Amino acid sequence: MEVFIAQVINGISLGSIYLLLVTGFNLLLLVAMIIHFAYPQVVVLSMYIIWLVLGYTGNNLLLGTLAGVASSILLNLISAPLFQKVMEKRGEVDINSTMVVSMGMGMIITDVLSHGFNKGHPIAFPDTLAGGDAIVRIGLISILPGQVYAFGVGVVAVSAFFWLLYKTRPGRAFRAIAEDPSGARLVGIPLLKTGLQSYALSGLLGGLIALLLAALLGSASSALGEQVAIKVIAVSIIAGLGNLVGGLVVGLSLGIVEAVVQGYISGTWSNVIAFVIMLVVILAKPNGLFGLKI
Amino acid sequence: MKKMAFGVLATLLLTTGLGFAQTNVAVSEWQIPFLNCLTGPLASHGSMYQWSTNQAAADINKAGGIAGKPVRVIGVDTANDPQKGTVEMARIVKESLVALGPVPEPVIMAAMPIAVENQMLSITGTTSYEYASKFFPWSVAWFPPYPKRFPPLAKGWAGQFSDMKQVIQFVEPFGPWPMMAEAHVAGLKEAGANVLKPVEVPSDAVTFGPLVVKALEQKPDGIIFCCNAEKVAKMIKELKSRGWQKMDHILVFSSGDDAPLYTVGGEDINGIQVYNYVNPDIDSPRWNAFKTAFMKDHNGMPPFSLSTNYYDALFMIKEAIEKTGVTGDPKKLKEERKKIADYCANVKGFQGLMFSWDMKDGGPTNKPLFIFEIQGGKKKLVKEIKLAG
Amino acid sequence: MPLPLYYFLSITAVNILMSWALYVPYRMAHLHFLVVANMAISGYAAAYMVLSLHLPFGLALLAGFAIGAAVGFLVALFIGDAPTFAVVIVGFTFIYIARTVIENTEAVGGTMGLFGLPNIGGDPAVHRWTILSILYGLVLLVGFLIHRFDHSQLGRAASAAFIDKDLTTSLGIDIRKMGILLQTFSCTLAGGCGVLYGFIYKSFHLDYFTFHVVGILMTFIFVGGYTTLWGAVLAAPVLYGVPLLFPPEIASWRIVIYGALLVLVLVLKPEGVITTRFVYRVEALLSRKGLKQPPSTNP
Repeated sequence: MEVFIAQVINGISLGSIYLLLVTGFNLLLLVAMIIHFAYPQVVVLSMYIIWLVLGYTGNNLLLGTLAGVASSILLNLISAPLFQKVMEKRGEVDINSTMVVSMGMGMIITDVLSHGFNKGHPIAFPDTLAGGDAIVRIGLISILPGQVYAFGVGVVAVSAFFWLLYKTRPGRAFRAIAEDPSGARLVGIPLLKTGLQSYALSGLLGGLIALLLAALLGSASSALGEQVAIKVIAVSIIAGLGNLVGGLVVGLSLGIVEAVVQGYISGTWSNVIAFVIMLVVILAKPNGLFGLKI
Repeated sequence: MKKMAFGVLATLLLTTGLGFAQTNVAVSEWQIPFLNCLTGPLASHGSMYQWSTNQAAADINKAGGIAGKPVRVIGVDTANDPQKGTVEMARIVKESLVALGPVPEPVIMAAMPIAVENQMLSITGTTSYEYASKFFPWSVAWFPPYPKRFPPLAKGWAGQFSDMKQVIQFVEPFGPWPMMAEAHVAGLKEAGANVLKPVEVPSDAVTFGPLVVKALEQKPDGIIFCCNAEKVAKMIKELKSRGWQKMDHILVFSSGDDAPLYTVGGEDINGIQVYNYVNPDIDSPRWNAFKTAFMKDHNGMPPFSLSTNYYDALFMIKEAIEKTGVTGDPKKLKEERKKIADYCANVKGFQGLMFSWDMKDGGPTNKPLFIFEIQGGKKKLVKEIKLAG
Repeated sequence: MPLPLYYFLSITAVNILMSWALYVPYRMAHLHFLVVANMAISGYAAAYMVLSLHLPFGLALLAGFAIGAAVGFLVALFIGDAPTFAVVIVGFTFIYIARTVIENTEAVGGTMGLFGLPNIGGDPAVHRWTILSILYGLVLLVGFLIHRFDHSQLGRAASAAFIDKDLTTSLGIDIRKMGILLQTFSCTLAGGCGVLYGFIYKSFHLDYFTFHVVGILMTFIFVGGYTTLWGAVLAAPVLYGVPLLFPPEIASWRIVIYGALLVLVLVLKPEGVITTRFVYRVEALLSRKGLKQPPSTNP
């Protein structure tokens, strides 16, 4: 029983990573109609910026956080027009073109990180970022502060953005611009200002995710984004594109499935089993378990 | 008197002969291509290897070059891509006398058949015997075969601890690493340890809690890691967070003894043991100079286990050229390539940066292995394992 | 023939064929990444047949095609008419499955890989000419088939399915059967390519078939042009060959250049460099019938 509980907690920790990244991914989709397949790579780049700033400022967490958020917002602002240009002739979300554009961006980010930062070596964050020793340790069961932050913030973020996007006026404005810019303009929504706000919002989340991942993982490498990107895409598709709550449930579930498979069956088969499960689900429910929200 | 005259004449002839051999060098510069992974996921290693070969070239040139001519290492990026590596090797085999690399294993497999077909030695200095031997005699191995090298090592390590009854291994399915783990088993059993079912570590794993719990559930007394350095560091942190305290009962294999182990592991790896072929505390002028230069150019980071390989490889090529009288004459390309390959495959007493060793039929016969304990980011020698010749 | 030219030509041919293997199902908007898994499965199977069972190369190559076809057909029965997302997930799943099975199977070399594939015909020169002949023979044959497909009723149906599957179905076109046909064709092609790819290198390693390959093939199709088969014919040799000519300092930024090119082309010319309109104009010029309004295919 102790082992099972430990594995479930491990799974929730792993699932928190997927949850955070899928939430950011879905947010971009909902406010900008961008399917950003390289979103994990963008977050990893923000992690590297945080690391750089922490290094130069003697581990000043506030400056590091601000740098991470600023870099994430800047990347959004730079890439958004590219996506918009690609999609402007389509009346709906164009998975193929945006996927390929984001793949191109992902290739650039990964290669720049492997070339230009820390001579290509993985970067390590200070232990203080993770919050210190385990909060709970009973036998094999261990809960670290970083795990609690990641999970907690993930759940709060999903709730907060769900409320913002579906229950508030600014949120409805964001979604209106994303779905139909002309219609949004007609009803008086200021496109430029609202658009910038939506990108800033997703950038803010991206920076926070970068910080949380730094706390949870303790290190990052240039390949980290690619390693999780496929699973993040899979989770969002299985949950239903744009479905925030679905992303939370499926992200955590995938983490738990992987952890249990690694713990009880085999490490190398965990990806296969997880993907086969997802495959069965997507064939049975092509629009995702919780339905599309775009 | 006659004997003395004969001796003087012989010495004169020998010297003149050597001088003729040197003055017959047909190149103004020895150009040695190095097929290296300068970009991609292994770029950090590639840059280290490139640095080492450039350093070797600088040291050689400072001392007069190879047979009086300077040497230049030409870095050729394979980008860890066999599509690129093959074309680059195909270019190289046309005119090059000898090459370094390729790095890493997928490019070795794709590109080395070209070197073999064209009978050109390409020294794959950072791969295992099991890969290099497939291309003999047109490659040489820098390491002995696993079944020879690892049982004494594993026995030597486990034998330190009388309380080590059960050992578990974390194994990442990459290249020869599963075979390395398999080779540890015989030695562990000889040391009287029960070898538990290994834990497979997926290559794209980002968290390691499930794997560590799986391992600890089997109640091991000792742990061997056969994974990449970053993963090892993270798993050690995970072990500590779950109460593991016997740090010296953790052994990291040589390929895991890399910069990320130290930068990611930090203080959490104090007390663990690692093994590799490089003893940083050897006191020799050449090694001290190399170490100082490396640390200066790498933000104080000391050289790691593979960082000397291509340095030594270039010196081996130098020795091969000088001792066999290779001239670099394009008309003699085939025969001179063979001379270099034959020399390197069976050189005796080659003086590497840190120690000397013999080669026999392409593989080293007497390279020692060292077990270290890590404290404060530095390695302290625990044991030297000498392998039988 | 100079050796670098042989490797350039042979690998370019594989890149063209694999790009077409992605192009064909993409005509109905299916990003069928299963083709990369097919390369690995058929390639390793053929290598095992040659090395362990001592079967001749020709038989192993045919087996490679057959295995690709079988895998493609069986999978297509389930995803012939599935949404794009499902097809993408299937592809990723099978890449993971193929890699995990291979790395856990000692008989095909496991994580070490398979070494020492023999020369076809026992001689390196014969081997190279045979490989090149087969590859370019395939390029001509498959190119012809795809060209006929593009100009056929089936091709027009695929174009309609690309735009609107529901509308296409309402016109009486069986999307599922068309999907099965196109996916099976592409997987058959990929299977054969996998065998030939390994025989170019005379070895197999898992890292020959990574997710990275998906990115490279996507670059070829989308930069070259995804609305016509000629896009891959242009992009594969140029995007593979030009970086080989760069000096080392620039060549090391190859992947960044690929990524930037991909983004730029999609932003400035979303259909890619070679479009159907362009091809039609060239065809018209060649047939000397003057300029005609090209039929609408993809948006």
